[in-house]
Parts: sequence; structure tokens; C-alpha cells
Amino acid sequence: MTAVSDFSDAETHGRKGIGQIAFYIGLSLFAALWALPLLILIFTALKSANDFAESGTFAMPRSLEWANFARAWEIGLKTYFFNSTLITLVKVPVGVLICSMAAFALTKMRLRGADTIFAIFVLGLIVPMQMTLVPLTILYQHLGLIDRIPGLFFLYLGFGLPLGILVMRGFIRTIPDELIEAAFVDGASWWSIFWRVVVPLSRPAWVSLLILDGISTWNEFILAQIFIRTQANRTVPLGVVNFSTEYSTAYELLAAGQVMSIAPLVLLYLFFQRYFVHGMAGAVK
Amino acid sequence: MSQSVSLPVAAVSRQPGRTMSDRMAAWLFLAPATIIFMIVLVYPMIYSIYLSLFDWDGVSPVKTWVGLGNYEELFSSNRVFWIALKNNIFWGVLSLFVPTGIGLALAVLLNQKFAGSAFFRSVFYFPAILSMSIVGLIWGWMYHPTLGLINQTLDFVGLEGLKQNWLSDPRISLTAVFVAATWHNVGLPMLLFLAGLQTVPKETLEAARIDGASRWQSFWHVTMPQLRETTMVVVAITAINSLKVYDIIYVMTYGGPANRTQVLGTWMYFLTYNANRVGMGTAIAVILFCLTLIFAIPYTRHMVRK
Repeated sequence: MTAVSDFSDAETHGRKGIGQIAFYIGLSLFAALWALPLLILIFTALKSANDFAESGTFAMPRSLEWANFARAWEIGLKTYFFNSTLITLVKVPVGVLICSMAAFALTKMRLRGADTIFAIFVLGLIVPMQMTLVPLTILYQHLGLIDRIPGLFFLYLGFGLPLGILVMRGFIRTIPDELIEAAFVDGASWWSIFWRVVVPLSRPAWVSLLILDGISTWNEFILAQIFIRTQANRTVPLGVVNFSTEYSTAYELLAAGQVMSIAPLVLLYLFFQRYFVHGMAGAVK
Repeated sequence: MSQSVSLPVAAVSRQPGRTMSDRMAAWLFLAPATIIFMIVLVYPMIYSIYLSLFDWDGVSPVKTWVGLGNYEELFSSNRVFWIALKNNIFWGVLSLFVPTGIGLALAVLLNQKFAGSAFFRSVFYFPAILSMSIVGLIWGWMYHPTLGLINQTLDFVGLEGLKQNWLSDPRISLTAVFVAATWHNVGLPMLLFLAGLQTVPKETLEAARIDGASRWQSFWHVTMPQLRETTMVVVAITAINSLKVYDIIYVMTYGGPANRTQVLGTWMYFLTYNANRVGMGTAIAVILFCLTLIFAIPYTRHMVRK
């Protein structure tokens, strides 16, 4: 951008140094404001109930009450974490595999009408969940899948398809046809081409999609809210929302629960930051 | 052994994807995705359209055919439906300017290489990876009338007069929820604009600067035209997501006070699952879907072409 040159100017003419400082101060203030909701949440989670009632939202915690986290965990988060982790760890790899297979068929197997099929899958991206809820409820009542984690798993698989196929198709398309034809001439079957050529070459797309899909699976709310009925089967977002109505006055517990619910996302983000930019930007463009 | 049998076929045709068995193979690869997609999306959508033509409570074995009656009733006499529709429009128009504008501004600022730019990017992007329901809880907290950060800050700086019941005052509650959503919604456009800015050639900007263009001029005449495609994508996603808004309203206001913050997504839920008006609820879902389709068709065409 223009300002890149401004900064080099700043070095040559010291005059712009003040502008640079102002720029930093302004941006830092805005960033601090942006981080405030999270900071306050963490503060609250670390205060004792009395401390919170006496010194208000603003003040620093008088002592660090790590016990809040342990209590929130015991009261219910343990269960929600177990359920969400289970669903995410099973659903995401299975979903990415299915999407990858479909994307391979849509790009490299010269299927007639591939673009139309792809367009139909992508349209799934915009379908409001509400459009499917009632029929799915009826179907699940018949199948006995209401309030069952495998039932939720299957729905997540379905709603993850559009984005997954979109990301995978975008990437697999860039694999040169020659590589696939060469393997074909060598006598490899489609299945072995998929595993030995396509999957290894599309590793970056796998990583991006595992993260993207992992986050949206972990965060999903509306389907869990409709299809999960008992406490034992709740996922993290649903559990934390319900938790907040059940313990609506135990602020320090609520805050501790909320902090814990986002902790896995923080870790994921810290470790895989660069994949976010590539995955996200690649996905929707 | 079995591979050597298929070898001559491949060697003769030399191009994959031409024989019957190749077509079969393609469909086998597509089969899991297609079958799941049919069950989870296609069949329920068709069934929803069908159900929207009936008066049904969701339990009784008898569904009463009303044709377009549910739609007529929604448009003619369901007051909350109109509130919800207006709220969706309000939400959509604001979304096109506020989070998108902030996202663009931040992208332009943070696209420069300076010490800490990656850190600032993370700070502004981070809320975007949180669940909307959790964002709703965190902000519900900020808005708490007595213990919330906002009213306590106003107290602290001596502006007690500005204190509000942010979420229970019908005049401001939807805006208050929108502010919370903005915190979450700035990240994605920022990221997309950052990616788009990579395509703006440095030489052109340099040339514009040498020709005496002001920063604003070169932004408007050099950078923005390069961001046209990104802007289109951002606008489409923003419009679609605005129509789908649900979780944050459900969590923060539950559609209240007095249904003043209902949107189509939540009103569909309340009619269907709380009031047992399943036919009318699905009719709202169909209307919602048709509205999204308006923005989605150009977007999908763009995706497929690329």
C-alpha cells in the first residue's frame, strides 16, 4: 500500500515520525477496545463471587480463583467437552475425505455435467437451516435419532459438504492432469490414483479444511439446539448457553465456562494461524 | 493381476474418463457426498415447500391443505412477520456498511508491513472464529444493566444519563445486538480484503504517488478497482449471512422485548417449535430461502466459473 512508502519516508525525513507514533497509538487503542470483551470475560472468570459483587466489573481480580474453572468443568462442561470433541474428531476427517473424493470426481474424472453438479452442491451453502429443520425432525423421529449424537454427526456431515467440496475442488483442479494420466497409463486404478496422487498433493487443502470445518463443527448451535434434548448429549455451544440460564447469577462460573469453551479455538488459532488466511480466502473466492 | 487386465484399455484410450467403467468410478467417488446431500438437504427442502401448503400442528395425523394460505396470512395479518422482515432488512443494510467498512479500513491499514501488524491482525480477526452463540453470551454480559461493562463505564466517567437497558429497551435492543454481531463479523471481510489487496500492483500505486495523487485518490482510483471482485464476494456473503442471522438474537434477546427483535430465522423457530404452527413456520423458511437465492445465484455462477 501507499503507506509502505510513507514508512520509508519516515526514516529519511524524521518529520513523519510523529505521524507514525500517532498511528500506533490510535491502532493500539482500537485494538484494546476490540479485545476488551474477552479481557473482561477472563477477569470475571478469575474473580471470586464476593470480589465480583464488591469491586465491580472493572477492577483487577483480588486473588486468582482457579477453582471457578474446576467447578464449571464439574457442573457440566466436562460432558459438553467430551461430546463436542467426539463429534469434531470423527466428523471432520470423515467429512473432508468424502468432500475430497467428490471433488476429485468433479474435476479429474471427466464426468459429464460436473459443473452443474458442483453448482448444486455450492447452492447448499446458502440454504438456511430453517428450510430443513421440520422434515429432518420428522425423519429423525421415525429413525429414533432425536437426542442422539450419531444423528447430529450425520447432519453435520451433510451441512459441511458445500464448503468442503468448494475448497477441495478449488485445490484439486490445480493438480496437473499429466500426473493423473501418467499414473493411469502405469495401470493404477482410480482408487489408487486418489490415494497415491491426489491426497498427498492436496495436503495444504486438507489442513485448511480440517481447521475450517473443525471450527464450524465445534461452534455449531442451531442443529444441536433442535436435535439434542438432554443435558448428557449437549455440545459445547448449546451446553454453555443452557448453563448460562441455569446458573444465571453465578457470574464467575458462567464466565469460567465461557472462557473454557473458547480455549480450544484460541489454541487452534495460535498454532495454525497461517492456514486461516489461506483456507478462508481460498474457500470463498 | 487385476490391474494388468485394465491396462490395455487405458493404454488404448490414453485419456481417462472415457469408458463405461470410468463413468461408474466417477459416480462411486461422488456417491457418499451425493447420498448424504440428498438426505440432509435436498429431500428436506422439497418436503418443506410441500409442508408450507398445509395447516398443521406438527403432531396430529391430519394436515389441512390451505394452498398459499399460510403465505397470505403471513403477509396480510402476521404483524411479527413484518417486524422480522424489516429487522432482516435493517440488519442486512447495516451489515453491508458497518462490518464491511471496518473490515476494509483495517485491511488497508494492516496490509502495510510494520512491527506488530500480524499481532493486530490477530486481535481483530479473533472474534470471527468464536461461535455466534458464545459471542451473544459475552456481549449479553457487557450489556448487563447494573453489572455490565458498558453501564459501569458510563457510571465511572460520570455519564450516568447515558445508561440504558440495552437489551430490554425496544428502541435500541436490535442495534445493541447488531453491535455485538459486528464484533464477530469484521474478521471475515478484513481477511478477504487483505487477500484481495495482495493483487494490487505496488508499481501502479508508486506511479500514482509520483504523479501527485493523494492517498485518498490512489485508494479510490487504483486500489478500489482492483478490489472489485473481492467486494462482490464480500457483499454476497454479507447479504446471505444477514438473512440467516439466528443464534445471536436467540441468545441475547430471545426475539424480545415483545417480539421487537425477531428476524425471519427466529420467528420461524418460535412459530414452528413453540407455537406449533408448523405450516406457517415452514412458509417463513421458504420465503427466507427465496430471499437468499436472489443474492446467491450471481455468487454461485461466479464460483462455478472460477
